[in-house]
Amino acid sequence: MRGDQANRLNNGGLIDRSAALNFRFDGKTFSGFKGDTLASALVANGVKLVGRSFKYHRPRGILTAGSEEPNALVELRSGARREPNTKATTAELYDGLEAASQNRWPSLNFDVMSINQLFAPIFVAGFYYKTFMWPAKFWEAIYEPAIRRAAGLGRAAGVSDPDHYDKAWAHCDVLIAGSGPAGLAAALAAGRSGARVVLCEEDFVLGGRLLADGGTIDGLPASEWIARTLAELSAMPDVRIMTRTTLFGVYDGGTYGAIERVNDHLPVPPEHQVRQRLWRIVAKRCVAAAGAIERPIVFAGNDTPGVMMASAMRSYINRYAATPATRIALFTNNEDGWRTAETAIASGLQVAAVIDARPDVSPAHRALASKSGFPVLHGAVASVDGGKGGARKISVSLTGGARAEVEADGLAVSGGWNPAVGLTSYHRGRPKWRDDIAAFVPDGAPPGMVAAGAANGAFGLGACLREGFEAGAAAARDAGCSGNVGSVPVADDEAFSLTPLWHVPGKGKAFVDQQHDVTASDVELAQREGFESVEHLKRYTTLGMATDQGKTSNVAGLAIMAAVSGKSVPETGTTIYRPPYVPVAIGAFAGHHRDENFHATRLTPSHHWAAEQGAIFVDTGLWKRAQWYPRAGEKDWLESVTREVKAVRSGVGFCDVSTLGKIDVHGPDAGAFLDRVYINAFSSLAVGKARYGLMLREDGIVYDDGTTSRLAEDHYFLTTTTAKAGLVMQHLEFCRQVLFPELDVQLTSVSDQWAQFSIAGPNTRDLLKEIVDPAEDLSNEGFPFMGAREVRLRGGLKARLFRISFSGEMAFEISVPARYGEAMARNLMVAGKPFGVTPYGTEALGVMRIEKGHVAGPELNGTTTAGDLGLGKMMSTKKDFIGRVMAGREALTAPNRQVVVGIKPTDKAHRLRSGAHIIPKGETPGPGNDQGYVTSVCFSPVLDQWIGLGLVERGRERIGEIVRAHDPLRGEDYDVELCNSVFYDPDGGRQRG
Amino acid sequence: MRIVCPFCGERELGEFTYLGDAKPQRPAADAGEDAVYDYVYLRDNVAGPMSEHWYHGGGCRAWLKVTRNTLTHEISAVEPAAGAGAAKVGA
Amino acid sequence: MAEFSWDVRSPLDRALIAGSYGAQGDAGVALTEIRDFDLVQVMARRGKAAEMVKAAQARFGIAAPETPKAVDTADTALIWSGPDQFLVLSKGGKHTIEALAAAFVGSASLSDQSHARALISISGDKARAMLAKLSSIDLHPDKFRVGAAAATSMDHTSITLWRGKDRADGQPVFNLLVFATFAESLWHTILDSAAEYGVTITHSEKLA
Repeated sequence: MRGDQANRLNNGGLIDRSAALNFRFDGKTFSGFKGDTLASALVANGVKLVGRSFKYHRPRGILTAGSEEPNALVELRSGARREPNTKATTAELYDGLEAASQNRWPSLNFDVMSINQLFAPIFVAGFYYKTFMWPAKFWEAIYEPAIRRAAGLGRAAGVSDPDHYDKAWAHCDVLIAGSGPAGLAAALAAGRSGARVVLCEEDFVLGGRLLADGGTIDGLPASEWIARTLAELSAMPDVRIMTRTTLFGVYDGGTYGAIERVNDHLPVPPEHQVRQRLWRIVAKRCVAAAGAIERPIVFAGNDTPGVMMASAMRSYINRYAATPATRIALFTNNEDGWRTAETAIASGLQVAAVIDARPDVSPAHRALASKSGFPVLHGAVASVDGGKGGARKISVSLTGGARAEVEADGLAVSGGWNPAVGLTSYHRGRPKWRDDIAAFVPDGAPPGMVAAGAANGAFGLGACLREGFEAGAAAARDAGCSGNVGSVPVADDEAFSLTPLWHVPGKGKAFVDQQHDVTASDVELAQREGFESVEHLKRYTTLGMATDQGKTSNVAGLAIMAAVSGKSVPETGTTIYRPPYVPVAIGAFAGHHRDENFHATRLTPSHHWAAEQGAIFVDTGLWKRAQWYPRAGEKDWLESVTREVKAVRSGVGFCDVSTLGKIDVHGPDAGAFLDRVYINAFSSLAVGKARYGLMLREDGIVYDDGTTSRLAEDHYFLTTTTAKAGLVMQHLEFCRQVLFPELDVQLTSVSDQWAQFSIAGPNTRDLLKEIVDPAEDLSNEGFPFMGAREVRLRGGLKARLFRISFSGEMAFEISVPARYGEAMARNLMVAGKPFGVTPYGTEALGVMRIEKGHVAGPELNGTTTAGDLGLGKMMSTKKDFIGRVMAGREALTAPNRQVVVGIKPTDKAHRLRSGAHIIPKGETPGPGNDQGYVTSVCFSPVLDQWIGLGLVERGRERIGEIVRAHDPLRGEDYDVELCNSVFYDPDGGRQRG
Repeated sequence: MRIVCPFCGERELGEFTYLGDAKPQRPAADAGEDAVYDYVYLRDNVAGPMSEHWYHGGGCRAWLKVTRNTLTHEISAVEPAAGAGAAKVGA
Repeated sequence: MAEFSWDVRSPLDRALIAGSYGAQGDAGVALTEIRDFDLVQVMARRGKAAEMVKAAQARFGIAAPETPKAVDTADTALIWSGPDQFLVLSKGGKHTIEALAAAFVGSASLSDQSHARALISISGDKARAMLAKLSSIDLHPDKFRVGAAAATSMDHTSITLWRGKDRADGQPVFNLLVFATFAESLWHTILDSAAEYGVTITHSEKLA
């Protein structure tokens, strides 16, 4: 290891030398500068070995300078913020950064698992499928854990992420992906035309390849042109420039996904700020100017540290003033690669040789070679020698068969450029092949999108600017913006001149996919074994399936497949492109919605009062509901619930039932409308009365139930179950708007308008008399069972009172406007004190409904008919209603259907459990003898034993029969008696009294 | 996906709920079991433009008839259900 | 005779803590809860849209909105809430459902929503940035102008959103009606979204 930033050039680069930053890699302290990435700082410090490979644990270095990096993956940060598989090439350096190499043990320099290399012959394509076949039981216990330990990449933090993420929407006329020359030119044209523009750049500075390759635009050095362009764009109020933001997906209707790394460049996000933000961007038009990715050439030892993409080497030298090597060899098959030789010489580095696979080299480059004194070798790199210390010796096969050796500590490779066709292909688009650049380019794009610049196969600077500018202007025009776009920025177009070369045959491992350790011979083996289709090739070898999604490997892989199968590259084709373009943290997709904010929460009007009482809450859908109200000294929930039930049955209690869905049904045809949605009649209901109603689905299965009251000729107040409130509203609107548009009826949700309390127990009337104005007649005659009307309360408040009972006791439900809900709870406590009033929760509510045999969610479970629930007689024969015809089908009226029945263990001390299957005595448990199951259970304080409801074949005909409750889940099997489902007050005298 | 609600304008998918094929018409009360069976269960498996019911429950609560290409998700037409905005039609 | 009173409690009573929240310095977002209002949903009966509009004109002196917008008088806002329907928002007691019943008899069905919603007003130079985290609709000043309204969703919750008159300092004002039982949850989500910009929280007993 060399000294502190020994590989940093004295001048140049887009780094701030006044801002030194200290960081640690594998426990060692280094320094870098603001403007560095972790990778560039490692390069500046002479660190070549940064990780071990996935399968063979081979030493690996830095291959690229961007988000396509397959090798330089690190664990960034520590503790709960440890983030595995972070690309050193995009991780922005900050003071105090901590990173560790991955996939090595015990250390990067000495890795035990590198022994895998010796077994390399067995780690071939399809290795897992072929090797771990037998015995099957070894898979979970032995093979999988061992494989997971040996393979894989970084380690997850294992604890909750302490940082925050959020999500946001953005809207624009023109969205631009990428801020290279094409993207910036597109932004200029669109911005000048008056369009709302969003420009996303994944880097932390704008410029794309201009940052490394420079050039002259409109007579200005690239850096000055970028600054001038940025100033012009920044002055436009409707142009939004988002750096550190990757456009990762294209969705329907002009919706795009982007991830903004808001504070990844800081050790910890500032207080109140998020780490990352997920953007959903709605754009009328999109210019995909995401550039191109330089592609490797596959040869033996091409994964040796020190072997680097030629363009990446220029990035490190020009952008970061960091030298990856002192004596550089260049292996290229195109003119563009030569820029690295030019850069090296301009920076005072030695060029050992240029190995050019083409027959001819331009006169200018030949002159450069002779002037600088390096040989130009026509041929190809056959192999690279060197280990974890990096490349040392390069063996070259010269055209004509001779061999040559070159000594160098760095090898720059350029196999040409692949346009980034991800964005344009995400709607199952298949790119097309262009012979002149030997690359796939977009063939169309999702609606509203167009590719420009290198992403479209235009590699010259002038062409990028022209295409970008024209695409930006056209996009703005299509979006309806017609301002003057000015003139297109001008630059020269460089020659490209490429001779395709994918793979140099030779001895030793030649890697196609470096992240997944897929070699050229794996691809050849896949072809021999018949996995010739690119989709099969991908799955069989795992080529392109790593976190980099094969950005540097896919095209080479399928070119090799094409060669061995005797096809052309376009005949071989590409796999399907799918988002995301870069890995996106699950935390970003979750955003705000985690922990207590996992979903929105609904609170009842008396929630805070109940919390004061010490209520235990239960999540019911989005609601928090009081489940029971424990008192000091009660040993468990059952004791509390039993006390609440007894208090209601012997005195009086109340429960907030505001969670029921409540719907105002208005209009002259309201009654007729309800007749069609309920199985029973509502047009005949008298004003001032309530009725229990049952709704079916059109297929004849029960949908929902509840009481509906008629408050006026043209006004009904309908209630639904808590669970189905939203769905019933949707269903009723469907009926109103789609099925029965001829009816004059209006629907409004009033679920949140009313705080509704059930008041139950023999003392209910006494308590109500304290609350309700004395002028109101609450007697059995003045307010009979199923009465419903508006009343005035003491103090003048208007309320609605319904004489309905779910508990089987004398009961009312009372509704007050919701802002009085808390006052109502407090007043019931004060007024009810002399009568021993007790608040009760959903558990006691459930116990009393089971004792009373009322059906609820477990019985209205999407499989039961009205008849199954014992409510078949409610079905009117005088009218049509939803579900009527299908409810009459043979199977739905079969005599052997499972119907609701009461169930109690014969041993009174035995606890009944829901889910237990009903099996006849003496039969073997199994599907053939399964006659139903227990749906709801409770401990009944009235009967002093566990009781339940169940759905049992011919249950109502078998009252008194002893059957078995078979519960394999809990390992239980016990006798139960089938009984009347109404355990309590079967005549209903109490609720009518 | 985005749907242009005829009442609210263009909105994102999350505001809408999908129901399904809008072609089957609920049979008259006396149409018989076979007709109702077809209405409830029989559906074309359309590859291409299809008329579908969508509910703008996260917005104006209108039921909509959306013509969507099931292969591309392209939406070519959106119209309100007969009873959405019915206050403007004849009594 | 027990002693008790009918205290009114806003669904945001516990959640709203007046003062500052989040990042220090000049607050980018101001949050206000407006209390003491009447809110009535007016839905035209079948074929009676024109009659409803006429009745609204007679009662309020302005045309009821027939597209997504909100129109104001001195003490009342009529806010579009869907096809053939709008909300009447007024200072408490001004246009109660009882008072409106006669005006719309035969032309519209009325439903009292006074207690069903909480009214939150959001303003400030970061109001749009904050709302972009919660709302999928485009609130650009040229697209969602003063008086624009939307029946839409935030945090999977139905809301009614409209843009009020700009503040005296020129900053935009967004009014939001949220269902009462969701109000506390949405309030916390709003605070979380606004924290990075700094928030000033107040509550007002009446409509501005």
